[in-house]
Amino acid sequence: MPSLGVTANTTAQAIAAERLDRVHRPVSMTVDNDGGAADQVVRVQDIFTPAVTDGVAGPVETTVDRLRTTVPQGDQVTFNEADLKGIKCLGSLNVIGDSVDTDCHITVGYETV
Amino acid sequence: MLELTPRPQFTVVTPPKLLQEGYLVTFTKAWPSTMTNISGGKEPRTFRVESTNQVPYPRGYIIPTGDFRDIDLSNGSGTFQESMYPNRDQSLFEVTLGLRAGNYLVHFLMPAERYISELEASGMVPLTTDADLVYLGARKPEDSPPEDTRIKMYLVKNMEPLILRVFCLPGVDYEKCVLDFTFNKCDLREIPEPTAEQVLKSKILRYVTELKYA
Repeated sequence: MPSLGVTANTTAQAIAAERLDRVHRPVSMTVDNDGGAADQVVRVQDIFTPAVTDGVAGPVETTVDRLRTTVPQGDQVTFNEADLKGIKCLGSLNVIGDSVDTDCHITVGYETV
Repeated sequence: MLELTPRPQFTVVTPPKLLQEGYLVTFTKAWPSTMTNISGGKEPRTFRVESTNQVPYPRGYIIPTGDFRDIDLSNGSGTFQESMYPNRDQSLFEVTLGLRAGNYLVHFLMPAERYISELEASGMVPLTTDADLVYLGARKPEDSPPEDTRIKMYLVKNMEPLILRVFCLPGVDYEKCVLDFTFNKCDLREIPEPTAEQVLKSKILRYVTELKYA
C-alpha cells in the first residue's frame, strides 16, 4: 500500500495523481499536529475534470471535499481503514490544511482500485 | 483425516470465450448490402478467422449525477467518437466489455437515438429523464464485470455507429464509469462456397435489426 507524507498547506498537496481507469481509496491518515503552531483543519480533496456530457459541454476542474477534520494544536489524530471506509477519490487524491505549518505532518496511505 | 482425490473420469473443457484462429463466422443476409466487404446482399457469407490479436483498452469517464455521456465507437474526430472500428475490409473486431463497479447504467444505441433494447408497446423505450424507463434495457456493472465479461460487440468496417450511453444514477455527486474494452482483432478470409457443415459450425453474426425484430 503506497503512502505519502506532506506538511500542512493552504494549497492542495497531491498524494496520488488521477488514474483514468482507477479510483483512489484512502485507507489510513495520520495528522501529527503535536508541534504545530495552531489548530489545523484538514480536508481530503478529490480533484478532477469531469467528462463532456449531455448536460455539460465544457466541464471545468472540480474539487470535492471527501473528508474534513479539525486536529487541535499539540494533538495527533489517526484514521484507520474503518474510519475512512466509503471515501473514494475519482480524480487525484489531495490533502489541504487551513494554514501553512511545516510542523504539522499529514501522512496518507491509500489503495488504487 | 487423509483424503486422496480420485483421478477424474472425464474432463470438462470450457470453450474459449473469444474467437480463435481457425474458427468460422457467418454474417447473415441482414447485414446492409452497402457493406460489400462482409455482406452478400441476399445471401449470408462465411469467413475463416486466420489470426487473432487481443488489445485491451480501458476507458474512464467522470459523469455528474443524473447526466449521461455518449461513447460512439465509430471512427472519427468528433467529441464522442472513440475510433474503435476496423479500417480494413478483412477485419472483424470482437469486443468484450467489462463494466467496473459503480453507480451507473449503460444503454446501447444503433444508430444514434435508436435504442437496441426496447419493448414493443408504445413509449416503452429507454428514457434517461424518466425514473422508471431509465432502467429499461440498461446493463448494470454487475451484468458484465471485468473478470467475467458477458457483453460482446462485433465491429466491422463502415458499420453504422454503435453508441454506448453511460448514465450516472442518482445517489452520488459524480461517478467514475470505467469501461474495460478488449478488442479481439480477427483477420478474416472468405470461404467462397462453404459447406452446410461449415455454416452449421460457424458463429452466426446477426445484424442489429435482427436483434430488434424490426
